[in-house]
Amino acid sequence: MTELVLTPWRRDRAATLRLYVGFVRLAFLKFLAYRLRYYTGVVSYTVFVAGNAYLYRALYASRPEAAGAEIGGLTLAEMITYIAVAWIGRSFTFNNIDRMLAMQVQQGEIAMQLIKPLHPQTVMLFEAVGEAAFRLLLFTLPIMVVVVPLFDIHGPPDPALYGWTLLSFAMALVLGSQLNFVVGCLAFDLKNINGVIRAKHISLDFLSGVLIPFTFFPGWFQTLVAWLPFQGLSYVPVTIYLGKRTGGDLWLALALQALWAVALFLFGRLMWNRAMRRVTLQGG
Amino acid sequence: MAPLITVQRLTKDYHLTDRREGVLGGMVDLVRPQKRMLRAVDDVSFTIDPGEMVGYIGANGAGKSTTIKMLTGILTPTSGEVRVGGLVPYRQRQSYTRHIGVVFGQRTQLWWDLAVVESFRLLQRIYEVPEARYREQMTFFNELLGIDEFLHQPVRKLSLGQRMRCDLAAALLHEPRVLFLDEPTIGLDVVAKENVRGFLRQAREQLGVTVILTTHDLTDIEQLCRRIIIIDHGKVMYNGLLEDLRRGPGHKLRLCLDLAEPVAPAELQAACAHLPVEWAETEGADRTPVLRHCALFSRSETNAATILAAVLAAHRLRDMALTEPAIEDVVRRIYREGLVPAPEALG
Ligand SMILES: Nc1ncnc2c1ncn2[C@@H]1O[C@H](COP(=O)(O)OP(=O)(O)O)[C@@H](O)[C@H]1O
Ligand SMILES: [Mg+2]
Repeated sequence: MTELVLTPWRRDRAATLRLYVGFVRLAFLKFLAYRLRYYTGVVSYTVFVAGNAYLYRALYASRPEAAGAEIGGLTLAEMITYIAVAWIGRSFTFNNIDRMLAMQVQQGEIAMQLIKPLHPQTVMLFEAVGEAAFRLLLFTLPIMVVVVPLFDIHGPPDPALYGWTLLSFAMALVLGSQLNFVVGCLAFDLKNINGVIRAKHISLDFLSGVLIPFTFFPGWFQTLVAWLPFQGLSYVPVTIYLGKRTGGDLWLALALQALWAVALFLFGRLMWNRAMRRVTLQGG
Repeated sequence: MAPLITVQRLTKDYHLTDRREGVLGGMVDLVRPQKRMLRAVDDVSFTIDPGEMVGYIGANGAGKSTTIKMLTGILTPTSGEVRVGGLVPYRQRQSYTRHIGVVFGQRTQLWWDLAVVESFRLLQRIYEVPEARYREQMTFFNELLGIDEFLHQPVRKLSLGQRMRCDLAAALLHEPRVLFLDEPTIGLDVVAKENVRGFLRQAREQLGVTVILTTHDLTDIEQLCRRIIIIDHGKVMYNGLLEDLRRGPGHKLRLCLDLAEPVAPAELQAACAHLPVEWAETEGADRTPVLRHCALFSRSETNAATILAAVLAAHRLRDMALTEPAIEDVVRRIYREGLVPAPEALG
């Protein structure tokens, strides 16, 4: 019989922290190598915000009786701020974990992650943080520099809301990356998930509220999305910024966001473990 | 000595969906897919001792990579068991992978877009290699592989040979107990292959790592491994010393004789009629006298001295050459005839 010469092993806490910082750093460097790609992105985000701003200006102007008043609970200034903040948030919380994971599964590259004493889900989470750090500095910041003065975007009614908004966007990042991880895991069964990813992009822009604020929709729709995790990607942080959530409402929104992030993380673990029992990886 | 690796009745099935031909076939596939099972690894058992370097060889599709994937914990076997140093790879993956190094010749574990050194630094953190040890290891790798010259290049810009050198170093940085190499010389030119082999010899001596190496380049095996396991269609065809395989009854040595005067093959063969010798075909007819004659014989049946004595009794010899069977021929014969010689039986 084989003797026990390989000992069970766990990384200690300090080493774990160093390791995760290492992954954040490496992801940052990786995206830095491709920074040129993001320059065109600055333009397209700006154009998108501009297009929406003019659309809403026209919409509000077409109802002169409501001049200076609200449509769907938002004034024109709030509406434009909503769109700008939503897209500014999206510009750094967005990532392509699902596509990257699916590619690794299809090409069998995932094997190279399995030979290391790491959990790919955790690795991808910290890589997402590294990517977000890169985006924040070299993508979101340029977008803000253009968009904020151009559309005269104001700060939140209470400066403390800056902090809560940032926290909420940080949770949106975790939530989004866990959602993408789950979607990426579908590649173990479906092999090609390009269609799924496309459908996800379209429905998420709606269900997260980044495209149009939920207040424009009928009541039943608002109730529905309140129970789904997707509002945590955009609608929650943006409405916090606008000062639409205060006191208990604010706490509830943040707690729900955190709860969904944890739930999706656990669901991702489940999907992953199931895949590991059944996978057959391509290529030799 | 207790074995480090024990593989018992290991089996892996893949489920395939065959595609029918044509548009109509494609429509039928949607309704009733044709499922088929492929047994890629079939009831494989073997053990490997600490410090051994074993060659796991077989043709394309024989099941080498599938076996390695189960040994490294990437795939869960359909049935059977793997134990390495007391751990079950696919059950205790996180603990287990701390102790192993893996190189897949067709892939890289390095971060593609970043300078090589970034990958090494992250690997250092993954495996908690102390700084002093890290420096020692990197010096060792640089002496043998010369990796310093491209340490600051992005991985995607390296040649295949350079990348393989880095991957080998990356797999050994944390001083694993076992090193798995799946076709480490695939696609490399002769010089690069030589480089890799030299490194593996040194690494085994100096780091004492146990190595399993798959390849279909048999030169790798001849230069590196004493023991080989040959598999074909997922089954073990031979498990033993390379040396014994060469000495087996089916494996003929070749003794070529250059005579002083031309002699007809039939005449020479008559002189050796009492010996278990086959004669390789010579150009021209049996009766045409020629200078060169080649005898094939098995070590277990006779030897070169006996044949020479018989020839010298009747003819004058100018020159001779004795060649070992090429390992390719030996392996090809095993594939063809499914011959599994029992090494004990051969003196
Ligand atoms: N992921 C997979 N799905 C289905 N069949 C596979 C898969 N991987 C390998 N095979 C099949 O299993 C057999 C053994 O493959 P492999 O272990 O890669 O052989 P080798 O490494 O010796 O070339 C081959 O017939 C191959 O086509
Ligand atoms: Mg292979």
